[in-house]
Amino acid sequence: MRGQPLEPARADASAPPGQGPERTDTVVIGAGPAGLAAAACLGRAGVPYVVLEREQQVAPVWRRHYERLCLHTVKEQSALPFMPFPDDWPRYVPRARFVEYLERYAERFGIRPRFGQEVTELVPAAGAGWRVRTAAGSRLEAERVVVATGYTCEPCVPSWPGQEHYRGQVLHSARYRNGAPFSGRRVLVVGAGNSGAEIALDLWEAGARPALSVRGPVHVVPRDLLGTPAQRSAILLSKLPLWLADAIGSTLARLAMGDLERYGLRRPRCGPLTQVVRYGRIPWIDIGTVALIKQGQLPVFPGIERFTERGVRFAGGREEEFDAVLLATGYRARLDRLLAGAAELTDERGYPRWHGREVPGRPGLYFIGFANPISGALREIALEARRIAAAIAARRGTVPQG
Amino acid sequence: MGELDHWQPVRTSRELGRRPLGVRLAGQELVLFRTGDGAIGALRDVCPHRGMRLSLGTVQGERLVCPYHGWRFTAAGDGESPGTPKLYACAEAFAALERHGAIWVKSRHATARFPRLEPAGYFPVRVLRHTVRAPLEVVLDNFTEVEHTGTTHLFLGYPTERLAEVETRVETTEDSVRVINRGPQRWLPAPLERLFQIRTGDVFTDAWTTCFSPVYTEYDQWWADPRTGAPRPYRIKVFVFFTPRDGESTELVSLLYTSAPRWGRLGLNRLLEPLLVLLVDLEVRLDRRMVENLADKRPSLRGRRLGRFDKALGENRRRLARIYYGCEEQAVL
Repeated sequence: MRGQPLEPARADASAPPGQGPERTDTVVIGAGPAGLAAAACLGRAGVPYVVLEREQQVAPVWRRHYERLCLHTVKEQSALPFMPFPDDWPRYVPRARFVEYLERYAERFGIRPRFGQEVTELVPAAGAGWRVRTAAGSRLEAERVVVATGYTCEPCVPSWPGQEHYRGQVLHSARYRNGAPFSGRRVLVVGAGNSGAEIALDLWEAGARPALSVRGPVHVVPRDLLGTPAQRSAILLSKLPLWLADAIGSTLARLAMGDLERYGLRRPRCGPLTQVVRYGRIPWIDIGTVALIKQGQLPVFPGIERFTERGVRFAGGREEEFDAVLLATGYRARLDRLLAGAAELTDERGYPRWHGREVPGRPGLYFIGFANPISGALREIALEARRIAAAIAARRGTVPQG
Repeated sequence: MGELDHWQPVRTSRELGRRPLGVRLAGQELVLFRTGDGAIGALRDVCPHRGMRLSLGTVQGERLVCPYHGWRFTAAGDGESPGTPKLYACAEAFAALERHGAIWVKSRHATARFPRLEPAGYFPVRVLRHTVRAPLEVVLDNFTEVEHTGTTHLFLGYPTERLAEVETRVETTEDSVRVINRGPQRWLPAPLERLFQIRTGDVFTDAWTTCFSPVYTEYDQWWADPRTGAPRPYRIKVFVFFTPRDGESTELVSLLYTSAPRWGRLGLNRLLEPLLVLLVDLEVRLDRRMVENLADKRPSLRGRRLGRFDKALGENRRRLARIYYGCEEQAVL
């Protein structure tokens, strides 16, 4: 039933009879950091808005991420508009604290999302504006829509031949909390993104025997270099021409991390900054996993070719046994689930091509929180939220406050 | 669980160079070495052939070579003999690695978890090691009460004459014991106060949590404005690990952190680091001198007359027995 329009009779049943759709100025879809930042900025700008959230709380995705996760970006560069993190909070804010911050944020700006409202249909209304319909049967009409569903909307779960005969457990990192259930077990972590690298470290610390499966080349940078956060260095580097920034970035990374090729981690041919700017791939920001790899505590294997009954066979033919396989294979934005014709607006990875400004040819449609720039995703969200609110306020002729 | 089943630091990273190093851990003699590709090996310090100390050998590539007959062992303990190529020899190996500036060892098949030592908001300064000639329990007792700080220490702690004003509180969980002490800071030389951004009359908080797999105490020490309660910017965090050498002596491995960004205050914080290391080293040496002079170093608390600052001692003993030694709680009380 996913993605299919609801039958009109059922949708109408939950709306009061004889009443048309509710009208508002702006609908914000999603109550994660992006949705909350947009709502706060709209509120300040005097724009009436409604926030729709498919789950029952704000920031549901952040609540479910694994326990040891901390922001990779420093708190000064990660706060949402108008509300810095408390002074005594750590430089890299832990996940649970970040959720607490988002709850306080919603409270402080009087944001009351409508929970349990999953948007299933977002289409241009006749004339101008947008029609929004939710799985619960609500119907709204708005001049503008801010899509803040995030790039972690749905886990990306690949599959391999032979998987149905594998006797161990296969699960996506979205369902991983901590390493305790895996103590003493052999676990293969698939994917060399930041969640894969950190979950492998978390498993190792919990007394499991993890290994990593890394398919392609990857850039590895230390989180702090000489006491300076990678994010800050990246912001400085991004002011240089790309070729120079790449050269400096690769040299620093090589000096800090050493030659990782002998451990199974190849460096991509294109530089670390080019990768972010062109392909949106954030490097592996190391918090200790590499030291384990170098000391032989965490073997690195190539990509999976197929599953066997007790483990996997890697590209190149080597077979190993594992009790569990953890897929740290990322997420998908899945804009096609709510927006008809989303494919025209998204790139090959399914992310929108326009960030924080009105989509050309789709008056009143805005995307926020889908960019993952080198300067940090949360910092970008704060910038986009202010920009969107200012644009909407200007269009309405209201004056933003503060 | 036994004493060898926990990840315990035995040496600082700086102490282990290219040569193998003999160490004692819970009565066992081990040899530590760095292999050519950067891994750490820990083997029983006895060659399975004719009993030579492997710590007197040398490292060649990935292998530790016995000085007696040249048998060669990998970090996993797999051995080979140059004279008898088909022979299979195996030295007893332990799991070992280098992290946070220390060398850690545990028995190979134990699944104990590694202690979480990434204090958010703190920056690593140095790792120190001290050997104390007293059993683990006795050393731990000293490090989990503040009553001795006025007499034993020079800078950190509370003045003996105002000890009655110090509040002390114990909070326990299934596997940890937390102690929070709050009271007047003792006299400090003015330049020291200035450097560490402390004011005369500040309230000093010394709060710590002791965990038992392995045995370590995480100390948080900070100063605050007595009126507003606002903490001063310079805070100290120390993880002190209590690793038994044997029944009579204990290795103290201290991981020192501060809240001050390394290059903050125009680089002054960086210059303060050696001073802080010196102060902490001095204070631990003073502790050691006191503990080593004890007339009675029995681990047992039976028959002792304990005071209000000693509440954590019994709580520590129970968890030590259950979690660290893996035996009945009554066994060490």
